[in-house]
Amino acid sequence: MFTHILKLIWKKKKSNFLMMLEIFVSFLILFAVWSLSIYTYRNYVKPSGLKAENVWAVYINFNTQNDTIRGEYRELVRRHLSNIKEVAHFSFSSGNLPFSFSSSNRDFEYEGKNTLSDYINVEPSYAPTLGIEMLAGRWFTYEDTIGKIDPIVITRRMAENLFGNKEEAVGKVVGLEDNQQKVVGVVDYFRHKSSFQADENCVFAPLGNWESDMLVKVAPDATPEFEAGLARSMQQLGKDWTVEIQHLDDMRRTQDKTIWVPILILFIVCGFLVFNVGLGLFGILFQNINRRKGEIGLRRALGASKSQIWTYFVGETLVIAGFGVFLGLFFAVQLPLLDALNVESAVYGWAMLLAVLSILVMAIGCAFYPSRQAAAIYPATALHEE
Amino acid sequence: MLSLSQIEKIYRTDTVETLALNNISLEVAKGEFLSIMGPSGCGKSTLLNIMGLLDEPTSGQITIENQVIHGYSDKALSQFRNEKIGFIFQSYHLINDLPVLDNVELPLLYRKVSSKERRKLATEALEKVGLSNRMKHYPTQLSGGQKQRVAIARAIVGRPDLILADEPTGNLDSAMGHEIMEILEQLNTADRTTIVMVTHDEGMAKRTHRLVRLFDGALVSSNQFYTA
Repeated sequence: MFTHILKLIWKKKKSNFLMMLEIFVSFLILFAVWSLSIYTYRNYVKPSGLKAENVWAVYINFNTQNDTIRGEYRELVRRHLSNIKEVAHFSFSSGNLPFSFSSSNRDFEYEGKNTLSDYINVEPSYAPTLGIEMLAGRWFTYEDTIGKIDPIVITRRMAENLFGNKEEAVGKVVGLEDNQQKVVGVVDYFRHKSSFQADENCVFAPLGNWESDMLVKVAPDATPEFEAGLARSMQQLGKDWTVEIQHLDDMRRTQDKTIWVPILILFIVCGFLVFNVGLGLFGILFQNINRRKGEIGLRRALGASKSQIWTYFVGETLVIAGFGVFLGLFFAVQLPLLDALNVESAVYGWAMLLAVLSILVMAIGCAFYPSRQAAAIYPATALHEE
Repeated sequence: MLSLSQIEKIYRTDTVETLALNNISLEVAKGEFLSIMGPSGCGKSTLLNIMGLLDEPTSGQITIENQVIHGYSDKALSQFRNEKIGFIFQSYHLINDLPVLDNVELPLLYRKVSSKERRKLATEALEKVGLSNRMKHYPTQLSGGQKQRVAIARAIVGRPDLILADEPTGNLDSAMGHEIMEILEQLNTADRTTIVMVTHDEGMAKRTHRLVRLFDGALVSSNQFYTA
């Protein structure tokens, strides 16, 4: 029967080509959307490596450009926060706080191998503030910063990229002679840009003199009144200071929205496109069946049962769809083969599978009703019409 | 072979009721070549459709090879049709997108027959009707007579006991018509295939064993020419 269907399709290749092309384009669109969705989902389920609950981002403007004064001001803030029992931990940080719209990166070199990484300047208290757990080694201390070589803590991904999987990262010195940094610890994940961020390189280095943004971990029962009071009390520490507090959870939600909203829009657009293709397919099949009533009557007369007529027309649609999908797969498989976008092959594999299934569901869905109509055609009537 | 008992067929719409067949009883013996004649619209094709299980009578009973056709599922009825009955139509009903050989194979697609066996049987059927040299041609490349011979090959490929032919020579000139009749006669005499043929041509009808005439849906006469 398959060869029989193939022969008929081949003979009507011109009229079937458009349908095949539609399926091909739909497959590519579905493949792209599924790839993006799977990639995003796989990132989402990965551990973030940080605990954002009850952590506030505090943006302080000391209103001075003098680094010495800024250092003194920071110390003033430290003393103030240390005396507040609702504040569990706090750490000054460079402006690229988690889930902020600010980022900073730097190129790292080890034995001729280079890799780009996010770069965050923080204090030793940064780890407890965000609940970061060590995979190897330890977080740097103030004592580490006294030496000639600055300490850094890196993510596992960074360690893999720079030193390979097997090598022990802790103790390795990266960078050139005048700017060397020593790895003192490795953390498993630090996905600080959004819940959907991929597992990327990140390096934590000691704080410089100019940073004035900070993270404050407060007690779970901290109230909005406490938040307002904290902002007011910090503002009153210096003349012309401004203090703005944001919740890390809210910042994460905002960042997440910038990712999932476009994906949702893409899904809707894609759904609309596929729906249109489906409608077109539905129309073509209906027209096809109306044109082939005589053939249907003949097949029934020659011994085809209703279910065989139904299967035949659904089968014919699936074979046409199969050609479109096959062509689509040819192009889709190039992505993992060429490692074009630095995405795991499994993402493409799943996306291909889901795109194929989506097309199958669409093709069967579109062919179902017209094929049922074909099966219901009364053979005597169909033969008479011909 | 085939028995129709008090067959009645009424077509109903919301406002009109048309009696297409009125109390028809007919026996067709095994190996008989029967022709049916009558004016247009007298119910010849309806009768043939009912004999071929393509249509259901409003009342009455059909028996084919001692099996009363009643209460069959669509699947069972289709299988019965596939194995026992071959059809020949006035307008050939060939699929123009398939080569001749594939057209002839068509009834075997609905049986459990290997593709090799299908090819073999279809080739044999085409040889029988003298078209083995046209197997790879498409129906559009054939003359009317050749098309009807392909249709005959398709009707006999499954080796049915009964062939129902609806004006098989109706679209052909007399020479072609004679050729087709000769093939049908050959099938009837050599293979003892029972044939029921609807025709408008008195000459063709006289070449069959028996002629029955229909008028306004009723059987009005029966002439025996030969004995099967």
